[in-house]
Amino acid sequence: MKISSLTQLMAVKEKGLAQTYPNKIKLMVGLATCGISAGADEVYRCLSQKLAEAGLDVVLAKTGCIGFCQKEPLVDVVYPGKVRLTYQSMTPEKAAELVSSLKDRRIMDDNLLCRIDQDEFLVEGVVRPYANPHPPALPAQVPRYNELPFFNKQVKISLRNCGFINPESIEEYIGRGGYRALHKAVTMLTPEEVIEQIKASKLRGRGGAGFPTGLKWEFARKAEGDIKYLICNADEGDPGAFMDRGILEGDPHAVLEGMAIGAYAIGASVGYIYCRAEYPLAIERLKIAISQAEAYGLLGENIFGAPFSFKLKIREGAGAFVCGEETSLIASIEGKVGEPRPRPPFPAQSGLWGKPTVINNVKTWSHIAPIIARGPEWYANYGQGESKGTTVFSLVGKINNSGLVEVPLGISLREMIYDVGGGIAKGREFKAVQTGGPSGGCIPAQYLDTPVDYESLAALGSIMGSGGMIVMDEADCMVNVAKYFLEFTMDESCGKCTPCREGTMRLMQMLDAITAGRGQEGDLEKLEKMSRLIKKTSLCGLGATAPNPVLTTLKYFRDEYVAHIRDKKCPAKVCKELITFSVVADNCTGCQLCRLRCPAEAIAGAKKEVHRIIQDKCIKCGTCYDACKFDAIAVE
Amino acid sequence: MDPDKCTGCGTCLEVCPIRYEVQLPPEEEAKARAAYAEATEEEAVADIIARHRDEPGNLLPILLDINRHFNWLPRPALEHVAGDLGMPLTEILRVASFYNAFSLVPRGKHIINVCLGTGCFVKGSPRLLEGLERKLGIAHGQTTDDMLFTLEVVRCIGCCALAPALRIDDATFGRVTPGQVGKIIDSYTKAAGQ
Repeated sequence: MKISSLTQLMAVKEKGLAQTYPNKIKLMVGLATCGISAGADEVYRCLSQKLAEAGLDVVLAKTGCIGFCQKEPLVDVVYPGKVRLTYQSMTPEKAAELVSSLKDRRIMDDNLLCRIDQDEFLVEGVVRPYANPHPPALPAQVPRYNELPFFNKQVKISLRNCGFINPESIEEYIGRGGYRALHKAVTMLTPEEVIEQIKASKLRGRGGAGFPTGLKWEFARKAEGDIKYLICNADEGDPGAFMDRGILEGDPHAVLEGMAIGAYAIGASVGYIYCRAEYPLAIERLKIAISQAEAYGLLGENIFGAPFSFKLKIREGAGAFVCGEETSLIASIEGKVGEPRPRPPFPAQSGLWGKPTVINNVKTWSHIAPIIARGPEWYANYGQGESKGTTVFSLVGKINNSGLVEVPLGISLREMIYDVGGGIAKGREFKAVQTGGPSGGCIPAQYLDTPVDYESLAALGSIMGSGGMIVMDEADCMVNVAKYFLEFTMDESCGKCTPCREGTMRLMQMLDAITAGRGQEGDLEKLEKMSRLIKKTSLCGLGATAPNPVLTTLKYFRDEYVAHIRDKKCPAKVCKELITFSVVADNCTGCQLCRLRCPAEAIAGAKKEVHRIIQDKCIKCGTCYDACKFDAIAVE
Repeated sequence: MDPDKCTGCGTCLEVCPIRYEVQLPPEEEAKARAAYAEATEEEAVADIIARHRDEPGNLLPILLDINRHFNWLPRPALEHVAGDLGMPLTEILRVASFYNAFSLVPRGKHIINVCLGTGCFVKGSPRLLEGLERKLGIAHGQTTDDMLFTLEVVRCIGCCALAPALRIDDATFGRVTPGQVGKIIDSYTKAAGQ
């Protein structure tokens, strides 16, 4: 059936609502890549089997990731007309227990993370309570979803449906107000009005550079050309970032709808989604989403009966970081080597196959529909200064609550790390937070009160980037971290321009020497000089930002570099050439655990006697340190 | 060509007056041809090309599908593509050698990808990699002699919140400890032995 009018859309919405909120108990398992790697598919299989065995009339459904990856696998139980309960860290055993509790009509107390009393339909601005008039009291004191520190500072616009709908059902997306904005744009607004609204919302590109989205669209709209293209950059190459994956796996239609609106605005009839091959599940769900949207006529010819047609194709990346750069990405879609080219001309003038092309990131596209539906003023209420709206971060590393979080721009790093993130894991000291991937920098503790927005992070020498936020603690060596990022950019440099190809290699050689204890006086000045040179002379963003991790660690953690060079010591005890492992005789009980685990047979000692590490054989892998239960292994 | 010095910049290909082909080291060349001969899969390649023939910019999708089908890019398959699309083999090899996803040498039955994304890196994935290298007796980028495993590194599979992570074929493992690595490999070796 094709949807060509609002009435027809509303009919599908009713169907979707009935599917999302059935009249019986519904179980939802978070089946995004994060959940699956934590064992969610096993939990799903177990639930399905046990439900069948128990003969319970219960709906079992898939959903995306609600963001709290730390607590995966997550299972939700929705009691119709009552409440939704979220269970954390589920296992097949607990899943079996959950089924038997359902059978006995009681509520399982174990593993209960929170309760959700209401659902927000963001696009419509409607709140739908699970129970009328009052949610039931629960036997145990269960926190509400929005009372958990992880969730209560979040404002979910991009992630509005993730963890609430089945990402493989277009009806459920439409149920929560999906494709209303596309209808509004196509039937009630002119392309220019759409662009005006996006401009008024002050939305800036969420891929990292922060270029005003409306302006970019206007350039492409005004550019000469019979054919125009639209691209979604889903080549999320930054290591430590998975926002795009979360959206594509949890709510692919949000991106499709945004792109369709964009296509209408600039006058494009063909769009591409360039998704990295490392995200097979995201690609699979995108394919499903596209075929569903085509079946309903929401993609294809004469959408909503208007003289507007739009087709979407998926292109898989092939593992090249530089393809996240727009001109490289375009070259890659054209079937060429993904090398950047100088700009101007910008893609909005001359992009894919030389035609005007708008290229935006997954997160940017996912903001479009709510802006059109709720209006630019509503959107610009969030955020501060020149950075309006919300953005999604992947909060990972040495932090208690890792996961995907969406916050209004302008929130401080401290709030992100200590409130949302719950502080540093294992009670250790915070050392730095790395933003912006290999193009960004490491920000130290004294700047924790900095607001997270484009300008403030740039002032510290880092960048906002696409949204990776990796927290590091006292056990991370910042020289080693700089080396890690440089190794990455060196590998991923396409080799086209000399400063990037040769310069990153030189920097890498110097850092290698420093971490191996071969650093010399004057090295730091050389590093700085070389870094500035690479920044100034590289062709594309990859080279121009590659030295940022080196420069920021040099700026904020210079003493660590000095310790490596002058004292030949690694203060964080990470760099292998600069540390030795030894047995603390007073603590060693002679339990043999370390000796048995040592992969290099470098530990000697009889049972119940103090052990000894044979330094010549030691490969400094740290296995003994992890194995020892008595703090009897020292690292110096 | 001196492989230690080659940066893969591709300039030699552009300036080569006779558009000569990129050469593999002789021993790998022989291995490459032998492996394709065993699996007479010409039809599969023809099918893949047919599937993408009318798309503009179809080289990458074709190579990805061939790479998925064989687990690597056999030279005769590339020659097939070159002939069919009327494209110089040089150009195809340049694309094939540029992207990390492609392999110009045969890879093992199972491809292990250790994630070295930043999240995994700070949570100790380099130690998983070292553990795997010791366990399998190969360095990353290599394949075991029995052609069962190829060990590779990947820069982020997006499982950062469950770091450190590794992926074997389609299965993703999260929060892996160095101690678990051996057991995971053993389970695959055992399955292959049956």
